Amino acid sequence: MTLLKVDNLKVHFPIRGGFFRRVVDHVKAVDGVSFELQQGETYGLVGESGSGKSTTGKAVVKLNNVTSGQILFEGRDLAALSRKEIKPFRKDIQMIFQDPYSSLNPKKRVLDIIAEPLRNFERLSPAEEKKIVQDFLDKVGLSPESIHKYPHEFSGGQRQRIGIARSLTLKPKLIIADEPVSALDVSVQAQVLNFLQDLQQEFNLTYLFVGHDLGVIRHMCDRMGVMYRGRLVEEGNSDEIYDNPQHIYTKRLIAAIPDLEPEVREEKVQLRKKLSAEYESSYSTFFDENGRAYDLKPISSTHRVALQ
Amino acid sequence: MEMKVESGKIIQTKDVSPSGMKIIWQEIKKDKLAMGSLIILVAILVFVYGASFFMDAKEIAKVDFLSIYMEPSSDYWLGTDYGGRDVFGQLIIGTRNSFTISLFITLFTAIIGLSLGLLAGYFGGATDNVIMRVIDFVIALPQLMFIVVVVTIVPVFNVYVFILIMTMFLWTGKARLIRSKALSERELDYIHASQTLGTPHWKIILFQLLPNVSSLIIVNFILNLAGNIGLESSLTFLGFGLPESTPSLGTLISYARNPDVLENKWWIWVPASLMILVLMLSINFVGQALKRAADARQRRG
Repeated sequence: MTLLKVDNLKVHFPIRGGFFRRVVDHVKAVDGVSFELQQGETYGLVGESGSGKSTTGKAVVKLNNVTSGQILFEGRDLAALSRKEIKPFRKDIQMIFQDPYSSLNPKKRVLDIIAEPLRNFERLSPAEEKKIVQDFLDKVGLSPESIHKYPHEFSGGQRQRIGIARSLTLKPKLIIADEPVSALDVSVQAQVLNFLQDLQQEFNLTYLFVGHDLGVIRHMCDRMGVMYRGRLVEEGNSDEIYDNPQHIYTKRLIAAIPDLEPEVREEKVQLRKKLSAEYESSYSTFFDENGRAYDLKPISSTHRVALQ
Repeated sequence: MEMKVESGKIIQTKDVSPSGMKIIWQEIKKDKLAMGSLIILVAILVFVYGASFFMDAKEIAKVDFLSIYMEPSSDYWLGTDYGGRDVFGQLIIGTRNSFTISLFITLFTAIIGLSLGLLAGYFGGATDNVIMRVIDFVIALPQLMFIVVVVTIVPVFNVYVFILIMTMFLWTGKARLIRSKALSERELDYIHASQTLGTPHWKIILFQLLPNVSSLIIVNFILNLAGNIGLESSLTFLGFGLPESTPSLGTLISYARNPDVLENKWWIWVPASLMILVLMLSINFVGQALKRAADARQRRG
């Protein structure tokens, strides 16, 4: 069942200049992106910095204005709804933020932080509220006694878990995870990721997982899309993308994953050189004269690539 | 299970972060100057507000030609002025009036500056533009001219009118300060998080944004309080302050415009000048301690 369908999404930011600060041009942060999320799966969006992956994620929760295109959530177009009309959908779509240090209000206690969504949508007595918050704290592996502490008393990993607990309290259907582990160190990353997977099974969650760490994406995602300059250049099952990349950008991205074995180091260097040469020679097969990636073309039932 | 509860309790007693009030108190205790200032300030205010309860303001403002320009004596502790009015009584009432005026001006400018600054900073864009242009307009007005004109044309010039007219001009600085802080705060993820959690704008502004600009507000409030005491005095000195029937520190000092008073009758203007100096300095020192308390890197305690 399709939970979220993003259709030809465009998010353009105006560049103002000149005498009256007129709009002189647009930054095309997201320029025609389409993908679908099935219920219960994890869809990864990868790409380099500035490729528009976070902007896409934020557009789904309406933190960015959508220039054009559709965001269909259970058949309703979120992009066309006003702020008021979208409120009921907030319950079903939640977001986990990248930076655990700025995503929790430093002046609020953990109880108030995690209970904020509950207070917006449900009428609960303080005792019920406390119980729910403590349950979720327990679920994310924090001591239920920590409800009276402030965020700065926790480590980065613990803070991120508070953020995750906050996004779970309303039992959402879709969670946008915007690089949820990139601010954490590697040992904590694994912990948080495994724990996100456990939660996915327990609550039947669907994740839109935004990230730039290819290892993390492969570990987490069933399907993924590779973004480059605001466009999707390749989309398919994770294995297809990793084992059989078709687009030159994806190939280079995957070749850039560091290999831990020193024996193959020379081999890898050669591969990267070869890809670099291929990128130069076959540029026009993958990008049009403006440097824009072509529209996606299916090459198998699940695998789509941006080719001419 | 019991072990867990046990350890949780221990951590809680150890790790509970000190509240804002506690940090401020620590900071003031560490700073001898601020502590002394606070004691002096509280003593003066308690005495002045307490004593003015038992004083008859009308009696003090009454002209008595039999006791003009008397030197300090046991009858008149600080002598009398050219109307034979007791300077000590005027000093008490004047300090009370001046401080009350300063307090209300600071309070009103804070309320206006805070609400407009938060709105402009949080919403940004067109809202910000409109509010900032209004501020630019107010700043561009020639303040002193305006005040002089208003003082001359209002039928009854009293404390309320004075507070009103000063508030009209002084809220702009605060609004700008709060706006700039709010602008940087709203880009932080906790504001975005609240938006995605479905919290309405007004709630985000009041319960998420406001607590994070509060330290700035408190510090600015205290420092402005000190500044506004001087403000009233200087205007009164120029002759556009309060009438003599409402004594203030400024009216006492303005008697020194008469060279004879300035040279020979020191008891009329020196106490009031000292009072302003002491009040402004002590409020400032306390304010400085608060400022340090608000910024963890500058704290001493």
